Amino acid sequence: MENFQYILPEIFISIAIMLFLLVGVFKKNSSNLIYSLSTISLVILLALIINLSSLDKIYLFNSSYKIDNLSNYMKIILVGSGVFVMLTGSKYIQVINLNKIEYPILILSSILGMMIMISSNDLIVFYMGLELQSLALYVLASFNRDNLLSTESGLKYFVLSALSSGLLLYGCSLIYGFSESTNFDQILINSTEFNYGTTFGIVFILVGLAFKISAVPFHMWAPDVYQGSPTSVTLFFAILPKIAALSVFIKFLYTPFANMNDQWQTIIVFISIASMIFGAVAAIGQKNLKRLIAYSSISHMGYALAGLSTVSNQGIQSSITYISIYLVMNLAFFSCLFMLKRNDKYYENIEDLSGLSKKHPILSLSLLIVLFSLAGIPPLAGFFAKFYVFLAVIEQSMYFLAIVGLLATVVAAFYYLRIIKIIYFDPEKEEYETSHNLGLKITLAISTIFILAYFIYPSSITEIVSKITMI
Amino acid sequence: MIAHSVFFYIFSLIAIVSAVMVTVSKNTVHSVFFLILDFISISCLFIMIGAEFLGMIMLIVYVGAVAVLFLFVVMMLNVAEQKGQWFSSRWDGGTHIPIGLLVSLIIFFELIIVIGGWKYKPDLLNSLSINISSEVTNTRSIGNVLYTDYILLFQISGMILLVAMIGAIVLTYRKRAGVKRQSYVKQISRERNEGVDLVQAEKNKGVKIDA
Repeated sequence: MENFQYILPEIFISIAIMLFLLVGVFKKNSSNLIYSLSTISLVILLALIINLSSLDKIYLFNSSYKIDNLSNYMKIILVGSGVFVMLTGSKYIQVINLNKIEYPILILSSILGMMIMISSNDLIVFYMGLELQSLALYVLASFNRDNLLSTESGLKYFVLSALSSGLLLYGCSLIYGFSESTNFDQILINSTEFNYGTTFGIVFILVGLAFKISAVPFHMWAPDVYQGSPTSVTLFFAILPKIAALSVFIKFLYTPFANMNDQWQTIIVFISIASMIFGAVAAIGQKNLKRLIAYSSISHMGYALAGLSTVSNQGIQSSITYISIYLVMNLAFFSCLFMLKRNDKYYENIEDLSGLSKKHPILSLSLLIVLFSLAGIPPLAGFFAKFYVFLAVIEQSMYFLAIVGLLATVVAAFYYLRIIKIIYFDPEKEEYETSHNLGLKITLAISTIFILAYFIYPSSITEIVSKITMI
Repeated sequence: MIAHSVFFYIFSLIAIVSAVMVTVSKNTVHSVFFLILDFISISCLFIMIGAEFLGMIMLIVYVGAVAVLFLFVVMMLNVAEQKGQWFSSRWDGGTHIPIGLLVSLIIFFELIIVIGGWKYKPDLLNSLSINISSEVTNTRSIGNVLYTDYILLFQISGMILLVAMIGAIVLTYRKRAGVKRQSYVKQISRERNEGVDLVQAEKNKGVKIDA
């Protein structure tokens, strides 16, 4: 019982899920109430996690659960972005008639699964967390069940994700077989000498994780799922599972497999290069903004993985900073997307942005800032994110990776700039509605100001992140 | 030891071959047959290493419930290769019988090995690689750790099942209009004067209803 306080956030969120479910069952028409209650409970959850963040390292449940600087930071950005996802999506799910009690409850349970993933220090705990989050995500993807695209995306995600889970489990069983333990620290101790079984296990686990993070060549589900899901769910998909999967990547590479970096380094470098190039090239021909952001997220994951491939603390920190800035940019972009509403219909094609600047100067300006930042143009936050990664990569003299990354940035800049051209120089279209709910406005304002003002005080993130050391 | 490895390879071979057959056979019903065979072979493997609890659970849950459910679904959805013939009154020439017979024969053979070995030569099928104390039963030793060392996993699996249930309801439940439901409260609290109307009937005139 003396360790009860350390697991309090997880217990709190589990109880909240069950309580809200009961409220939803016994109180009629309570979907709005539950939505706001869930948002509030996420804020409380955030406070609980921040309260724990002064701890250095705590092992729980026979050291199968580990709370350290990495897990605390990741959980804070996870739950923080969860709050904003709830705030931005509240109006959207009402308009497209998805306002059911289960929606916020599924989001909460998925967040619980991600928190378990982030803190796991054991193969089984990790897998259970992964299953909890993906099970909720399958349902969320096909939540708009009367829509053909949504159902298709849910089914596609389910089938492919089940396949990747199978590969991941096979990898786990190989690792367990050859190192005789499921505990990450114990695996590190037991796998001192090289053997093929462990190497195969690593490959399978990396394949499964790369699928969850939608890195090339395991990306094929991302564009369809992003396009088909309701936009609020797409926003969720674009941010939260990536945070969880990236922290699991860091955990796996630098705890149980830390001795075998000569085995996995080439794999990560390859996945990173392939994602950067593919994401940049494939996004060029896209017409749908959600599809476009899917390809863009693929290439962004490539940059985050580039930091991980360096086998240095600086590289890990640069990746974590990258994902933090990436989530702010995505929040801002999707807030803009939620504002493209006319007569209870949301618009999500690039051509719908045509001439937006004439009638919506502020919205266009925010989009301009976000897109410049996504393209990595100084002095916006997106530039710094890439800058840290390339710095870490060059420090380890991995020049090839750095050069390819820079070239991919140039290619990617093309399609971001094309959208800006369409917004500012194309013939204008009908006006969109201008009344938006407060949560959406606040999110857009905060995220845009963060992107703009990051260069004034860049140590705001880097100082916190610099506490995270794995090696 | 030799007998042990011989049986191990027999069971593994059957398991692998039937797993392949599940995916390659064009007839869905045959796939389910092979799936059952696969489950049974694997549970035999579990019993061989002394994990009889796992083996039995495998039999009860996977063969008893999941595979039979699959069989039902396959038959109900009529996705079998011969479309529209499964429920037709016409005799289809018994195409399923040879495969079904083959599968059940192999299962019979496996059961003879496992139960026979278990009954007459208990040390034949015991694995030497895993130390399982014979005094404590499997069920007891699992119970000993499940609620203590692995309580976190136990709780998380509960959450996973909850989410699975919510998901299934969200995706399939539809409110239908015009469904007549029985209301016990309404039925019991009905009074005599609500349902019965006493009318003084006059001679040769009858009673006008709904006047």
